[in-house]
Amino acid sequence: MSVALGIDLGTTNSVAAIATPTGVEFILGARGERVHPSVIAFPASGGVVVGTDAKRYRLSEPQHVVHSAKRFIGQNTRAPLVQLALTGVRYNVVEGPNQQPIVVVRDRRMTMPEISSHVLLHLKRAAERQLGTPVKDAVITVPANFTDGQRQATREAGRLAGLDVMRLINEPTAAALAYGFGQDREQMIAVFDFGGGTFDVSILQLDGEVFEVLASEGDFFLGGDDLDRALAENLASELHRISRVDPRPHAALMMKLMMGAEQIKMYLSDSEAAEGEIEGLDLPGGRVSTLPFSVTRAQFEAMIAGYVERTMAVTRQVLVAANIDPRMISDVLCVGGSTRIPMVRQQLAEIFRREPNISINPDEVVAQGAAIQAGSLTGDLTSGTGMGARDAVATAGHSPLARGTITLPEITAKRPVLLDVNPATLAIHTAGGFTERLLDKNAPIPIERSRVFTTSRDNQTRVEIDCCRGESRRYTDNEPLGTLLLDDLPPRPRGDLQIEVQFRVDADGILHVRASDLASGQQQEAHLQVLGAPVAPAGPASGVPDDKP
Amino acid sequence: MSARSDVLLWAQRVIGRKDATACQILDIPAGSGLDAAQQAFHKIARMAHPDLHRRTLTADELELVTTAYARAAAAYQELRGQRTVTTRIRAIPGVPAAVPPTTQAIPTAPPSIKAIAVPEEPGHAPNKMGSKALIYYRKAELALRRGDLPGAVLQLKMAIASDPQSQFLRSALAEVEAEVARKP
Ligand SMILES: Nc1ncnc2c1ncn2[C@@H]1O[C@H](COP(=O)(O)OP(=O)(O)OP(=O)(O)O)[C@@H](O)[C@H]1O
Ligand SMILES: [Mg+2]
Repeated sequence: MSVALGIDLGTTNSVAAIATPTGVEFILGARGERVHPSVIAFPASGGVVVGTDAKRYRLSEPQHVVHSAKRFIGQNTRAPLVQLALTGVRYNVVEGPNQQPIVVVRDRRMTMPEISSHVLLHLKRAAERQLGTPVKDAVITVPANFTDGQRQATREAGRLAGLDVMRLINEPTAAALAYGFGQDREQMIAVFDFGGGTFDVSILQLDGEVFEVLASEGDFFLGGDDLDRALAENLASELHRISRVDPRPHAALMMKLMMGAEQIKMYLSDSEAAEGEIEGLDLPGGRVSTLPFSVTRAQFEAMIAGYVERTMAVTRQVLVAANIDPRMISDVLCVGGSTRIPMVRQQLAEIFRREPNISINPDEVVAQGAAIQAGSLTGDLTSGTGMGARDAVATAGHSPLARGTITLPEITAKRPVLLDVNPATLAIHTAGGFTERLLDKNAPIPIERSRVFTTSRDNQTRVEIDCCRGESRRYTDNEPLGTLLLDDLPPRPRGDLQIEVQFRVDADGILHVRASDLASGQQQEAHLQVLGAPVAPAGPASGVPDDKP
Repeated sequence: MSARSDVLLWAQRVIGRKDATACQILDIPAGSGLDAAQQAFHKIARMAHPDLHRRTLTADELELVTTAYARAAAAYQELRGQRTVTTRIRAIPGVPAAVPPTTQAIPTAPPSIKAIAVPEEPGHAPNKMGSKALIYYRKAELALRRGDLPGAVLQLKMAIASDPQSQFLRSALAEVEAEVARKP
């Protein structure tokens, strides 16, 4: 019996689950926890520690603890937002080959997919322990607006962890699947996913077992981390004022303030004011200080207003993109820890003129959807798996599959059909500095289009096609994706050759390009190296360093 | 007939007719509306979505079905792109036009490709600006969508104030100002 894992690989927290005949079963940590911090520590004592146990090293040796790796995976180190995010972490990141970020901890250099593979491997091993069976197949979720490079890097992380990644699905789509699976609904919903590092909002139409994403917008650099940083900056100024030491250049000190800020933030979601002190702040020169604080909810809201407004602006934008009126939406799902902030819920209610749905578990619903999709892809799925059967959700160390005593009943629910969308317009450079759009943003995937090209000079044997991502008509206003190279063409007068290029975005949201010479029928697999993406797969899956204590 | 041979026959039909129109691929009458296109596409998805056949088809067969399905998706998207929109949304450079352009003409002659790619300087993309500037920029974008040109000019100026280096912002401002000048 094969078991397929659904994994929500989050910026802050990761969750894994499997679909069982009685419901979704979560993979638990050593302390029975369902939510696993996406934190990887390389402590001075040696080894690699992942998850809840890794968190405690954040205070003692912050430079050896990697967190929020999702903010850098598949990114170009030189992107300004990456540079900004780097100011919020205390571990060392340098630029590697193909401009990809590399983490340097002590003498180890690791790519971001390698870092994330530690989290995936941790979950895989926990699943194997819990289920008593090897686990290989997985569905991993990604933010809907993740780019090609980020998706490829996430797949690479899975491969390095020894997983066979059957599919990447978008986080809001996974949440919608968990919400609507087996319910046979006809309705339009919005999914507002505001997590630790990324923000997405999707509009979906549910038509029986078909889940069609009408439009999706987002910002992969907007999340709870930013809110923590806003508050930590204020705390840092206050500490500077009372201690006359600027804490900003001091890694351990800032980390403590960030962690304090996160706690204050969470407290303010339930209370009007937070008062107390942050103790044990080790100032340079051996002094230890205590920072008293008193923050009201209103003060905190003022600090984060710009970020929250940005999520609402994107939400209004997605409604325009889907071409629908907010009143057509019959449910608004709140997903991600940052939707617990009352200000976020209030503003959402204003846009949609209805209270958002907060009855679903914002931390777990994405993994639940991933598990359902994983079960569907391997065929082990029954209607008892969705939210409708929430009461039947299996828990701690109770796995009918593992014991092999319960045989799976025939599939009773129709398998879900996910119609996800292309995250960004793909276009090519044409003469005069313009672009030709090939695959629209928000088009359903998988999708394929082909275009015929010709040469512009006599006897030209090589053609380069620049590809970009973005919505502008002018090439240089978009983000370059890379150059597609067609080589060894037969020498002909200009305009004589007819080269057909096929562009396909697969169901994972990843671009593939293929070219063929129409006259000779000769095929060329065109290669496009996306900047920031992992450079050609490195080594076998055994590349994962040991994570034993 | 089995679901397996049904989907294979369908896929062969779609792939065999290279110059079929979008409506023909979706098997609906020419000139059908968006609702009909959506219904037709959902019907195809229920039958032919590659995920449903992952375990029952050979690799070659699955590739065939995926290609046919991916072309049907393109046909659906083409019809969606043709819907008329009442709100007039103008894209400024680098900003997603929120709605696909109305019946964008496809050039009859294939666009010629320059012989050698000019290496692109990094730093042109719209997101290559400070985070504060980006927030103002997005506000400008919203103002434009509302048709509020003066509002957009104001927000773009704020954006430039927070990121004076950005050429991109300056050219966006110039464009919007040109638009304002054109209006009475
Ligand atoms: N009660 C609360 N009030 C405010 N914020 C909260 C609360 N609980 C959790 N958060 C925040 O939610 C974030 C984590 O949310 P979540 O686990 O959904 O993110 P993630 O899935 O790891 O990230 P992403 O989906 O962006 O990759 C953290 O920034 C955390 O501080
Ligand atoms: Mg999340």
